Amino acid sequence: MNLTIGWLYPDLMSTYGDRGNIIVFEKRCQWRKIDIEVKKLDVGFSMYELERCDLLFMGGAQDRQQTIIAKDLKDKTHVFKDIINRNMPGLYICGAYQFLGNYYKEADGAIIPGLEILDLYTENPGPNHPRLIGNILIELDPVILGTQNAAQRTPESDSRQVRMTTLVGFENHGGRTYLGLGVKPLGKVKVGFGNNGKDGTEGAVYKNSFGTYLHGPILPKNPHFADMLIKIALERKYKKPIDLSPLEDALELNAHETVVKKLRIHI
Amino acid sequence: MNSLLILIGKTVSLISKSLNKGHGSTWPGHIALSLNKNFIKDVLAKNPNLKIILIAGTNGKTTTSKLIRTILEHAKIRVVHNESGANLLNGIASVFINFATISTYLNYNYAVFEVDENSLPLVLNELIPHYVILLNLFRDQLDRYGEVNTVASKWQKAIEQLGHKTIVILNADDPQIAWLGLSLRAKRGNLLQEEIASSYFDKLSIPRNDSTRSNLLYFGLNEKTKSKIPQHASDSTYCPNCNTKLSYKSISFSHLGNWHCPNCKDKRPKLSISSVTTYPLPGMYNRYNTLAAVLLCRSLNIELKVIDSALQDFEPAFGRQEIINVNSKKVQLFLSKNPTSFNQSLQTIYELNAKNILMVLNDKIPDGRDVSWIWDVDFEEYLDPQTNIAISGDRCFDMGVRIKYSMEIKNCSPREAGKLKIEEDLKKAINMALYETPRTEILYILPTYSAMLEVRKILTGKKIL
Repeated sequence: MNLTIGWLYPDLMSTYGDRGNIIVFEKRCQWRKIDIEVKKLDVGFSMYELERCDLLFMGGAQDRQQTIIAKDLKDKTHVFKDIINRNMPGLYICGAYQFLGNYYKEADGAIIPGLEILDLYTENPGPNHPRLIGNILIELDPVILGTQNAAQRTPESDSRQVRMTTLVGFENHGGRTYLGLGVKPLGKVKVGFGNNGKDGTEGAVYKNSFGTYLHGPILPKNPHFADMLIKIALERKYKKPIDLSPLEDALELNAHETVVKKLRIHI
Repeated sequence: MNSLLILIGKTVSLISKSLNKGHGSTWPGHIALSLNKNFIKDVLAKNPNLKIILIAGTNGKTTTSKLIRTILEHAKIRVVHNESGANLLNGIASVFINFATISTYLNYNYAVFEVDENSLPLVLNELIPHYVILLNLFRDQLDRYGEVNTVASKWQKAIEQLGHKTIVILNADDPQIAWLGLSLRAKRGNLLQEEIASSYFDKLSIPRNDSTRSNLLYFGLNEKTKSKIPQHASDSTYCPNCNTKLSYKSISFSHLGNWHCPNCKDKRPKLSISSVTTYPLPGMYNRYNTLAAVLLCRSLNIELKVIDSALQDFEPAFGRQEIINVNSKKVQLFLSKNPTSFNQSLQTIYELNAKNILMVLNDKIPDGRDVSWIWDVDFEEYLDPQTNIAISGDRCFDMGVRIKYSMEIKNCSPREAGKLKIEEDLKKAINMALYETPRTEILYILPTYSAMLEVRKILTGKKIL
């Protein structure tokens, strides 16, 4: 088996150690003898390359860098949207997550249009409101996990059986994201702020696209989530159920547990 | 009033020292500033001849300020210095308290202050420095400092307010730092004299002739390097002027190098200095620190031979390549606090043929609570799987996972994988790593900031000095 990962804007959208997510995809595939290719999609990439990917990843970035990206994606939005609607699996962190929404309202009220792929919007309430910063623990949505009752099951959710139901990470964002009806939250916030610090939701899921505020980076400490994404991508590509061989994850789970313990102290 | 504050401060400092609390470098200043917010201005008004040197940058502040202090003292200049790294306003106020007489008199020629990135604008509101050195800007503790561009724009506003009395020394190899100079020059227009040409420093000393004297000086490296592509965790690789991707003729590390913009033609400014005869510490990063210090001292007309002898006598600052002897074994501390500093530590100890490494990752406030940055460190390039690697600290498992994914280890038990050992208890980890280190070899400890203080406390009984 083989898998091609498209890493969108690796040098512009990689501010918070987000490349760790790519390293985790690479290693967890290699350890299972799955051939993996990471395709770096830099400013000026062609949409043809995007079509050849099985899994997309885009990290967070500084504001100035997002302006450069917006310019580059302007002519590609249509195709990008189409690919996501055709169930292309993808993980979008922080700035990338916001970018996939309808718009981003800056602190001064200026509106930056988003790609309008995910039904959500983000607003920065202004300089008098603090950034949402800290360790975060969320409980994955049962619908996402495919653990809901049989009547609600979909072919998509069946492939999302995971061993653990929590995700840990570190969030650091000024914008508050509000979800529309077209998307589901990725999970419920147990400790931390999540999308907006108010409604208890974190992240968003649309078809096979996952948006989240979790840095840390997210995948090294949440190997079950990494495996879920790999599995979704392989099953879509090979059009059959695939069971990933288990890996020794004691170290990863210890790192996961470290954050859980840290946060329990503060509850 | 201020005499009283100095008296209170000195008492607090004395108590703190006798209890080994280590707050003597911040508390006295904190108390003084909360009772008189103009304390720093007041003390300086009483000491109009005291000249101030400020050093800011993500990495290298402590070493560069110690280099400057050492050279000045070799030139028989009396210096006060925030040597413990207390680099906020309260640290500066504390230095005044600890070294002033009760009548607020400071019997010194120069004050050398390293300044925290976020505090530089605040410090510049309180005083007019004789020199400002800006070393570099790298991504560091994004939860505390924000993003690199945010810090850069704060600095730009702050240094634009400086008058011509202040000489600004900039790292030409860091595009964002160099840009501060280029924009300052554009703003000041003809008022500012041309920068000194590179050949200028071949002369023995700087003439006092005002037509050649500049208040904007640049240092940088002209090394031939293999790579022309910035390292992974680089932030300032797009033109600060027009957002085009920069090209490099050479790169020393991260985004530092001989850069130019293919679009707007902005380029690295002319260097006033690019090499010296003595580099007291190994590592490319220390070349920059040395160049900055020497450039400043040359512009003060300190003789080359004095500078050279000072550099040869230089002892590293605490935790920055500091050597500690423990039971006839040698430990060397390499503070590694952000991706660039960690990469430079790894590269330097790799070149020193390190066989025994202990990495200590904490997530306390001074370290940054977000440990994501360890994934921006290039362990893949610099870690030899044959090395004895031990890991400790609050987030030792995060570091363990990072190292696991940098190596070809498939099945990793939680405590031990190949030569990788993880021990949460720092004291035990140090003992274990020391035990594994043969007497003929060195144990290299790479800690984050608070971890470095904890290691020093365990090895020397003292956190700072």
